[in-house]
Amino acid sequence: MSDTGKRGETILSVRNLKTYFDAEYGLVKAVDDISFDLARGEALGIVGESGSGKSVTNLSLLRLVPTPPGKIAGGQILFRGRDLLQGGEEDMRLVRGGAISMIFQDPMTSLNPLLRISFQIAEALRLHHGMGKKEAKSKAVELLKTIGIPDAERRADDYPHQFSGGMRQRVMIAMAISCSPEILIADEPTTALDVTIQAQILELVKGLSDESTMSVIMITHDLGVVAGLCDSVCVMYAGRIVERAACDELFRDPMHPYTRGLLDSIPRIDSAGRHRLYSIPGAPPNLAGLPAGCAFQPRCDRAMPICGREYPPETALSDGSGAPRSVRCWLHAADAAARSEA
Amino acid sequence: MAATRLGKNAIAMTGLAIIVFYVAVIVVAAFWLPYDPVKMDPAHMLEAPSVAAGHLFGTDEFGRDILSRIMQGCFVSLVISLSATLMGAVIGTLMGIWAGYLGGAWDQAIMRVADILFSFPSLLLAIFIMGILGEKTYNVVIAIGIVYIPQFARVSRGAILTLKGSEFVRAALSNGASRRYVLFRHLLPNIMMPLIVQVSLSLSVAILLESALSFLGLGVQPPYPSWGNMLASARKFMMLAPWTAIYPGLAISVLVLGFNLLGDGLRDILDPRLRNVK
Repeated sequence: MSDTGKRGETILSVRNLKTYFDAEYGLVKAVDDISFDLARGEALGIVGESGSGKSVTNLSLLRLVPTPPGKIAGGQILFRGRDLLQGGEEDMRLVRGGAISMIFQDPMTSLNPLLRISFQIAEALRLHHGMGKKEAKSKAVELLKTIGIPDAERRADDYPHQFSGGMRQRVMIAMAISCSPEILIADEPTTALDVTIQAQILELVKGLSDESTMSVIMITHDLGVVAGLCDSVCVMYAGRIVERAACDELFRDPMHPYTRGLLDSIPRIDSAGRHRLYSIPGAPPNLAGLPAGCAFQPRCDRAMPICGREYPPETALSDGSGAPRSVRCWLHAADAAARSEA
Repeated sequence: MAATRLGKNAIAMTGLAIIVFYVAVIVVAAFWLPYDPVKMDPAHMLEAPSVAAGHLFGTDEFGRDILSRIMQGCFVSLVISLSATLMGAVIGTLMGIWAGYLGGAWDQAIMRVADILFSFPSLLLAIFIMGILGEKTYNVVIAIGIVYIPQFARVSRGAILTLKGSEFVRAALSNGASRRYVLFRHLLPNIMMPLIVQVSLSLSVAILLESALSFLGLGVQPPYPSWGNMLASARKFMMLAPWTAIYPGLAISVLVLGFNLLGDGLRDILDPRLRNVK
């Protein structure tokens, strides 16, 4: 892994990122004005339900949003202080798979069925370092060992269909870390896997990030994954970050009613008796026709008149630990205003 | 894997056997022919097929041995259809995959040109191109090749469209691969199967097109034999000497049948939706 720079310094800073899609039924604001920072060595979770914009956020980071119909309409993505949105396609290719790499959701379709595992793992090495065939192959075997594939020498020449789902996701991880990236983006890496394999994959990612200064962005809808792996969390709803907090703080004291709803929807092993599992009423909004004001307000049980009129500002809160904590909700905006007046 | 399924597919194997037979004929013809295929022999004009006379398939109106001419014509027919199909396949596929992958204005431009070519019946288009290029044997290749370009463009574009949104394409891009690399290294190998089927089926139509052009006097020029021009000259003597038409006609039909059987068989083997349906 890369050892340049030290833990804690900001490596990636997303500022007011907007990614829109031109759909037939109107402009879809998949990502609307989001900002967050990622520190070196930090594991950041991005949580939200389907369509909340979490995957688009991360595709935007690598400029892999299909264009058209999508376009990055504004903002900055500062990676080591340089705006990734400014450079040309060639510059971007050096970043992809080199400094920032990505693992995708479905390991069954993320590997080319016609190419050998070793070829695919070493692909980034050949593309970025111009590594020769032999060298790339031995590096691929080495990576397979790192990620815990038994009998790596022999398995390296297998084709993807000879690997199980969990092994393929390991291969995807091997591909992603082959060039010692500084940031690993994992887009729901465990969604398509069963629970035991999920735990192994997460353990692998955690191990890789612990033993280096690699930062991880974990996109998921599974709060269990976040709790197990992440240092801090962004909760997304309808293309916006509604709450950002250190992981422990978020679980201890969720501020946004949406976050609270998500946490209440988790089945608990210690819940007594038989009662129905809580679910947030309503359905996620249509991003092409968002309601005025707060996007969550139609489903919110604590909605106030102002919620339907105006979008809540980002309210920075301090929890004493020094980790950035903010929320976009009128409940807390009012609190903060009251406190500052008092 | 595909090879063993090919072995088990009776239809494909029959087609393959026919094609192998024709190739064997070409190899034999290269070293030995019963008679000189262009040498006239006025003493034996329009002789009926007979073993005793030494003309197994009879002779034509100039006394030339029909079997020798068919064997010679086999080479011409196969080489023309192979190279024409290859030309159409390479150019058409390149156009199709770029159109499918880039999309947008490129796609529109390339596919509208393909549509225009498509709107003419194959034979008419081939005759038209021959008219422009002139009656040369290699122009037959170009004419049939151009007829095939839109067909291969369509097939490959469609296949690319279904694949270009795949996760593995996105994964390769996120690894820092260029679009050209993704297209040729990742996507092209994945669309080879429909292309192989298309090549096999196109070869049979190319045989027919070449014969038709030669029949119309636009293709291979007499005295050099091709199945098409043999049929054309046989037309006048068909009632009198039916063997002059029957044998070249048979040569064409059986080879076309061979390519069609192979193509159908390959499609059954390579198309997973049709597999194990029996």
